[in-house]
Amino acid sequence: MAINILIVDDSGVMRSMIKKTLRMTDVPLGIIHQAGNGREGLDVLGEQWIDLAIVDINMPVMNGEEMIDRMLEDPEMKKLPVIVVSTEGSKARIERLEHKGAVFIHKPFTAEVVRDTINSILGIEEGDES
Amino acid sequence: MRAKLEEIMSRVTIDTLEKLAFMFAYPDEDGEAQPKGSVVAGSVAFTGPFSGTLVVAMSIEVLQELAANMLGFDDDEETTEDHRSDALKETMNVICGNLLPAIAGNEVIFDIGVPGVLPSDQEMKIGAGIPDGLELSAKVNLDLDEGQCVLFLFLDGKIPKDVVSP
Repeated sequence: MAINILIVDDSGVMRSMIKKTLRMTDVPLGIIHQAGNGREGLDVLGEQWIDLAIVDINMPVMNGEEMIDRMLEDPEMKKLPVIVVSTEGSKARIERLEHKGAVFIHKPFTAEVVRDTINSILGIEEGDES
Repeated sequence: MRAKLEEIMSRVTIDTLEKLAFMFAYPDEDGEAQPKGSVVAGSVAFTGPFSGTLVVAMSIEVLQELAANMLGFDDDEETTEDHRSDALKETMNVICGNLLPAIAGNEVIFDIGVPGVLPSDQEMKIGAGIPDGLELSAKVNLDLDEGQCVLFLFLDGKIPKDVVSP
């Protein structure tokens, strides 16, 4: 099963890094979509079939937490798995995001952490990747 | 306190450069190394239990390698100014985001501003763009194969003792 992924980050370099890291994992990738802020991310979610969203928090126009809040209000989007990739260091803020259903990956990250997190959130077991 | 801040800043930056871009930096023991040739600098401000600005200046060669490695470019691919600017801003964001909890722990909350690249005519005027009243509280010089990287932490007053992580 190929997985369509949406990467939402205002940094083009970070989006490329995440894309590069995804290709280093065994995760079966479908189409990788990109957006530069939460608003654009919601637009992509409204138009494309996405299996997983990887979202930054600090972004202009609409930040990642607001995007997640909007997704939770939308019956079509509320069950979509979300991984937050951020430098956020506050335990309280991380827990708040986790209570909203997001899984947190801290920057800087390794390919192994990204792979294990995706496998865990999508229920992919080792050997299932292809 | 300054020595502790500099040790934390050095450790966080070395770890960030290694994990973000597979680049290996080493503390300059004498603290004398300054970036030679063209230098690019940027800053990111933060507020919280203590507030201030982190300034990062690096040789253009370091920044070129940083951007190329972050993007996964091959040796024959050249980075653009936008790539380099974005790479510097993202790197400052990651360093600052990891530095503050390393100093103050994860129970406190900081807001990190939008990182910016200093205009080229201010590159080496490290105080440029720093709001009045901020004091230089820590400085770290790092050596890399490609050149140097220097970090400056400007704080608005002292760090309250009760927020410093043991």
